[in-house]
Amino acid sequence: MFKISTGIGCVFAAAITVSVAQANECGEVSIMQGDWGSAQIVTAVSKFLMEEGYGCEVTTVPLSSNPALASVSETGEPDILTEIWTNGAPAYEGLVESGAIIPVTEVLSDGGVEGFFVPNYLVEKHPELATLEGITANPELVGNRFHNCPEGWTCLNVSTNLLKAGGLIDAGIDNFVHGSGETLAASIASAYENKEPWFGFYWGPTSVLGKYPMTLVEMGEHKPDVWACNSTAECETPAMSGFPRSLVVTVLAKEFMAENQAISSLMTNLSFTNSQMSKTLAWVEDNDASYDEGAVHFLTTYKDMWGAWLNDAARDKLSALLK
Amino acid sequence: MAFYNKLFSALGLGDWCGTSDDNAPLSLADLAAQAGGEKASGPFFPIPSFDNLHESCNRIWQSRDVTNGIEEGFLAAKPVLKIVLDPITQPLSWMLDSALWLFEVMPWFIMVPLLVAISWYASRSRPVTIFVAVAIMLLALVDHYDVAMQTLSIIFVCTTISVLFGVPIGIAMSKSDRLQKSVVPLLDLLQTLPTFVYLIPLIFLFSVTESKLYGIAIILYAIVPVIRLTDLGIRLVDRDVIEAANAFGMNGRQKLLRVQLPLALPNIMAGINQTIMMSLAMVVIASLVSAPGLGVNVLRGIRNLELGVGIVAGIGIVLLAVILDRVSKAALARVDKTQVKH
Repeated sequence: MFKISTGIGCVFAAAITVSVAQANECGEVSIMQGDWGSAQIVTAVSKFLMEEGYGCEVTTVPLSSNPALASVSETGEPDILTEIWTNGAPAYEGLVESGAIIPVTEVLSDGGVEGFFVPNYLVEKHPELATLEGITANPELVGNRFHNCPEGWTCLNVSTNLLKAGGLIDAGIDNFVHGSGETLAASIASAYENKEPWFGFYWGPTSVLGKYPMTLVEMGEHKPDVWACNSTAECETPAMSGFPRSLVVTVLAKEFMAENQAISSLMTNLSFTNSQMSKTLAWVEDNDASYDEGAVHFLTTYKDMWGAWLNDAARDKLSALLK
Repeated sequence: MAFYNKLFSALGLGDWCGTSDDNAPLSLADLAAQAGGEKASGPFFPIPSFDNLHESCNRIWQSRDVTNGIEEGFLAAKPVLKIVLDPITQPLSWMLDSALWLFEVMPWFIMVPLLVAISWYASRSRPVTIFVAVAIMLLALVDHYDVAMQTLSIIFVCTTISVLFGVPIGIAMSKSDRLQKSVVPLLDLLQTLPTFVYLIPLIFLFSVTESKLYGIAIILYAIVPVIRLTDLGIRLVDRDVIEAANAFGMNGRQKLLRVQLPLALPNIMAGINQTIMMSLAMVVIASLVSAPGLGVNVLRGIRNLELGVGIVAGIGIVLLAVILDRVSKAALARVDKTQVKH
């Protein structure tokens, strides 16, 4: 009798273990959490869907793009990198070629908008500042200064070469290189508070552009053939060109992509339009909300969008929210 | 939040509190509970924080209202602060810009001998002087001469101002216990408050293009050791010596200049030495707010994942620190009257 009950006990234990394993087959997932607004929303939404829909144990890893790429290429962690702005990541191309990382989708489907911006109140007063030629002709109206990206960002070389090509350096505009992205953002905020002129490089969708409406300066079409030279500091022949749409991608580590099919397909489907992201960021600003609450706002407002990202099992689990 | 609901109704504050706000942003935990079909249940006895109390009583602020209030207060005070602080800090901008211009305009064959001569005059020690010459030429060899000179000029100006203001403050502190008690918490604040916390608001006051921004950052951090150690040095002067000075009929000023300061000089020099070290420690943070120099190379190395660039620039900062440390220590040994051999 002892042997029979032990046998039945073993069968039960095995059955329970198997069912638990199947329920939690997602396992542990680590996801990068950038400190800027749109990245926080993306990570919060992804984390919620993975935990509630797929039963994963998700760890968020606060990182910025370049250290994240270094980490994933050397150690394979974190598994998921969100919102890699490829224009600002010199290491990205080489890593994709080596196969260590796999880009799965454009998480900002319209791409990021990058370029030279001036505040709206300035353009309203002086409409000619909406084009680069207008600024070259009236440098004192924009404060005789261009706020450039910090050392180490790719946009530094591009912007400097475009300033040279457009004749703005000759017109007397001071190419001021900021020490960090924080001071660049703070200079926009400070100029807006004091209604002072401002002219420099920025990108969207970001909370800064959501809070302080700016106009993109017209610089003509993007010319891919001159862009490669413009991206290097030693370019002898900088040429005028508009900024391209910036590719913003979700990247998975090679091993994770092979091991976890369900989450890989979730991350391949997960993508926001610029309008959705800007509206969510604007909602966060207006309501003094945290980015987690912004993610909740996105999930409750755009139900038809994210339902399609999930597989059937996850959609069943979250059916209460999709009504 | 049933716990606090009961509390407020028991206190009779139900009407004052108002009805709960249905448009308040949901949290992720609430959403997860919704997905599971149940209402979110928090802990039985939540801590009495603003956010938790707000859920039961709408009139109580949320914590985000506190942070917003601070921001609005600062923006409201900004015009007044600007009028007061701008003239006071403008000389700092001029000094930094002039020093940077001077160090860059002087050709290396004048600058390097000048620096070596200064270190000989201050230290009168051959090993130190040779080390200074070798270190500077080493930096020049790897094309880091320009950035090293920029950093050196910034450190020079900031240390001079720190000492100029720090020693008198330290002397005043040593004379008055009350002043010491009120200044010490301020010094603790300056050393531990994260620099960006007060730098970003300062960008709203001054423009980030002005050099006084990083000058203020470095000075506020580096002035603390010289103040503390001057105060300590003067307080540590032997009571018997002070009594002897009193017996000789010295007045306060004579005591300070002839007795206390000379005897406190080892501590004061240690304070100056530490001020120099802390200024160099701030080099990278200063570069985050657009200071030129070796910090820019460090940041570029970090951002581009060029490890070598970062390491070489970092070693450059260390070399500068060691040069300044050895020269100031050798100068200290010369003026240290407490070690005079009879």
